Amino acid sequence: MSEATFVRFWGTRGSIPTPGHKTRRYGGNTSCVELRYGEFELVCDGGTGLRELGLDLVQRGRPRVSAHLFFSHMHWDHIQGFPFFVPAYAKDSEIVVYDVEAGRTRVEELLHGQMRSEYFPVNFSDLGAEIRARTFEQFTVELGGVTVRSFEQPHPGKSYAYAFECGGKKIVYATDSELDLLLSNADESAQDPEALRRLPDALVAFVEGADLLIADGQYTDAEYPQKVGWGHARANTVADLAHQAGVKQCAVFHHDPLHSDEAVEDKIRAATARLDARGSRTLLFGAREGLELKF
Amino acid sequence: MSKTGSLDPDSTLAGAVAIVSGLPRGGKLPTLEQVRGPGAPRRFALSLAETVVGRGQQANVTIDSALLSRRHVVFRRQGAELSLADLDSQNGVFVNGVKAHAAVLHQGDTIQIGDVVFVLHEAE
Repeated sequence: MSEATFVRFWGTRGSIPTPGHKTRRYGGNTSCVELRYGEFELVCDGGTGLRELGLDLVQRGRPRVSAHLFFSHMHWDHIQGFPFFVPAYAKDSEIVVYDVEAGRTRVEELLHGQMRSEYFPVNFSDLGAEIRARTFEQFTVELGGVTVRSFEQPHPGKSYAYAFECGGKKIVYATDSELDLLLSNADESAQDPEALRRLPDALVAFVEGADLLIADGQYTDAEYPQKVGWGHARANTVADLAHQAGVKQCAVFHHDPLHSDEAVEDKIRAATARLDARGSRTLLFGAREGLELKF
Repeated sequence: MSKTGSLDPDSTLAGAVAIVSGLPRGGKLPTLEQVRGPGAPRRFALSLAETVVGRGQQANVTIDSALLSRRHVVFRRQGAELSLADLDSQNGVFVNGVKAHAAVLHQGDTIQIGDVVFVLHEAE
């Protein structure tokens, strides 16, 4: 496959939707990123942004789609959009949901679960689309010309990052990962916050050379000590990972629901200054709804 | 309010004021303020549903810069939402320093095409 890759942010907020004027610029919808390879539709996470993606697919004249859904994990801010994904109601649609762990269909079961009548008025079985589960083999899956690899991350209940490679381009989606629990120089970085925070070689290799790294950088350094163990990273630590892995562009993702647009911009400025101080060539920015990149 | 104009303790009104449920909007348009590049400084109101910017005569806004494609970028208004899309330009479109194929825009965004830099002002 030699066509361009398009990446569009449909939801960039962490934990809970945050509509309102304070979050207009970066958006209030929870995690959802679209990767488009020609007519091939890959979707990372089904937060409330997935509803917007579904409506847009209909507008594009594609109410019936073949979509491949990769969930970082099944916490509610990553699945809430699924019952509102219009193409799931179209009889000719085909939706494939991926489970990293071979032989399991946990992802599909949990999508069923959130549509039980106690939680939602429409049953999973009422969806018109053909919805089927597929599992990774050896943490890898091939989709046409796209190779998808997974990587386990530290998060309560664990989560997975995905690397999508096609036509020499590499996009990494790595949200809901508490990178700060992985530091090999945790003592040094606690003593000196400016010191490079060293991430494990295996993770750096997984991310290495990415054209785009989309990574959970929910917290500032000042916020993190009160939130250790909640499963999210400091934006400054994401910057250090991007630098170590030679990432070309890094989109800080999963913005804290308490953060206004101004707070997100302060967080991004601090992380950018950290990269600049190292002479890094990585371009870092805050992921925001409605932004589409082409690779 | 009583007919004599004395204050009614159940009312917050201090006079015979007509209460309005809403007024027509002022109709101000979103504007691109060109701050760098040939012809700057100047402003372009985005009055059309679609405004194409480029160096060619086919564009709605023509800017004489060799770094621009003939039809470089389109700005779209849809309700209150304003967005842009790169028209497969040679040198790309940068929104706040990020090379964007498309973007939803907001107040104060910086848009760069070649040597031309705009600042977006949303409708007020």
